[in-house]
Amino acid sequence: MTAYAPAAVFFAVAGLAPLVVRDAFLLDSLVLILIWGAAAAAWNIAGGYAGQVSLGHSAFFGLGAYAAALCSTRWGISPWIGMVIGALIAMATGFAIGFLSNRLRGPYFVLATIAFSQVLLIGASRWRGFTAGSEGIPVPFHAGFWTLGIADKRVWVWIVLVLAVLVYLVQVYLERSRRGFQLAAVREDEDAALSLGVPARRLKIAAIAVSAAFTAVCGALWAQYVGFVDPAYVFSVDISIKFSLAAIIGGLGTALGPFLGSVLVTTVETYLRAQFGGIEARFVGIYLILYGCALILMVRFAPQGFVGWIGDRLRRRSVAQATS
Amino acid sequence: MGPAEIARPAPLHDIPQLIVSTILLGGIYALIAVGLTLIFGVMRVVNFAHGEFLMLAMYVAFWAFSLLRSDPYLTLVVSLPLFFAAGWLSYRAVMRPVIQASHTVQIFTTVGLSIALQNVALVLWTADARFVRTDYYAAIVRLFGAAFNVAQIVAFAIAVAATAALFAFMRWSYTGKLMRATAQDRDASSLMGIDTDRVYAVTWAVGITCVGVAGVLLAPIYPVYPTAGLQFVLIAYVAVVLGGLGDMAGALIAALLVAAVEVVGSYVLGTSWKEMLYLLVFIGILIVRPAGLFGQRGAEALGT
Repeated sequence: MTAYAPAAVFFAVAGLAPLVVRDAFLLDSLVLILIWGAAAAAWNIAGGYAGQVSLGHSAFFGLGAYAAALCSTRWGISPWIGMVIGALIAMATGFAIGFLSNRLRGPYFVLATIAFSQVLLIGASRWRGFTAGSEGIPVPFHAGFWTLGIADKRVWVWIVLVLAVLVYLVQVYLERSRRGFQLAAVREDEDAALSLGVPARRLKIAAIAVSAAFTAVCGALWAQYVGFVDPAYVFSVDISIKFSLAAIIGGLGTALGPFLGSVLVTTVETYLRAQFGGIEARFVGIYLILYGCALILMVRFAPQGFVGWIGDRLRRRSVAQATS
Repeated sequence: MGPAEIARPAPLHDIPQLIVSTILLGGIYALIAVGLTLIFGVMRVVNFAHGEFLMLAMYVAFWAFSLLRSDPYLTLVVSLPLFFAAGWLSYRAVMRPVIQASHTVQIFTTVGLSIALQNVALVLWTADARFVRTDYYAAIVRLFGAAFNVAQIVAFAIAVAATAALFAFMRWSYTGKLMRATAQDRDASSLMGIDTDRVYAVTWAVGITCVGVAGVLLAPIYPVYPTAGLQFVLIAYVAVVLGGLGDMAGALIAALLVAAVEVVGSYVLGTSWKEMLYLLVFIGILIVRPAGLFGQRGAEALGT
């Protein structure tokens, strides 16, 4: 079980931190780290484990955010139910995308997913009657757990921690189960996997659908936490890239990687936003320059990410010790 | 804010206007798409940073105009070698190490380049939309019963000339032959003694030069801002996939088709929905015939 010790420590620290930390800024950072980490991990289910690299995952994130926000503002339904509805819609959409673009590989799949998220972006910003258009939706605050009107950031940490652990467990399942191994076979060589009787198509579609559902849940919680849904943000290519970046930095196809990646990515972003937000908004762009350079350097020098790199080191050391 | 908004002066209720609009718009899209498809055809890389080079070229035209009072079309003389050099450098620094790597690595390399360039522009020059207002900005030419902006006609003429030059280069020059050979079979051409690394460098640089020219041509017509590249490059992706990734002649015809969809779409549906229209067309093509109109079936599944 030593393989899961780092993750246990990570989640335990995150869960216990609110008992000690009172600083609102730190707690806020922790909530965001866990939400983006969970979203990156959800992306990792499709992009890392199934090899279905998508740059349109903001579509699912936005669907979740809108479902929860519209349910509470338009129909007075609890955002919890909105979250479930959003997850179901995203799951169905994920099925459809996976089914329709099943033949597409590599850059073609990326292009299809980008186009899809752009369609939703334009739809959400133009369909004024339903989504309030490009102004976005402010989510009103109604105190109470059922309405997700929670002012105490410590409670938020625990809520998103539950989500993070859930997505983590799905990833662990993909690392240990027969289905997970089959999925890895499909990722590495689809034709070989097919010839061994692995239901490649079904597995890929399922991975995309599950990934979509969890991404939508992240979107729903994010919208309720931040209190505002802006179509240009929730459906942007930028946040799709953010999910993939956190997963790549941490380690593509590793369970803890996306969360570690999110620690880094979110911290840099929050820091620069706090430094420059408001006065010189354009300097916030610095974190995106760093994102871009980090992406180029990571895929070139450490395509296995931090987790893969450290794992490599440890293995080498133990081999060296065994032979000496 | 989309390309056809300015391309469509009121009143608009006649077919000649739509046809000429389509052709003018298609000419510029063709130049962007041809560079993209050339890079894909030879290097098997989809350049997700293509739009950012376009945006940088628009900024070059803008700064040359506002600081040096240089006419945008005069700027071409400088921007042509400048973007060739920028392309060459970016190949050396960024693309060369990953040219043999997996699709995922290549995708994220160009995506990384894209966000980095976009935000360098944002940090340096802010998100404000800027305009190149030439003296002949409002000049209108009437032909075939339709009214047209002079800048558009000049842009079209230069874009067509540049595209023709590129086709001639690919067809008759020795370097063009090497590029075509590498596109057909990189291993075989390597065995024949072709320095494929140099071919890739030239290809990437030529592709970037195309978009560098296109950007300068677009600057007097459309506003310049850090994410300006995205709208054009999305259109170029549609044209490139529709024409068959890597197929230059296909991209040319497809660029005209996409321009037609856009012009007619904004005429019928209004400008706010026309982006939706070509994106849906795009998704439709990807699903039904991802190899494009003229491409071989199955190319997309081979992951070439």
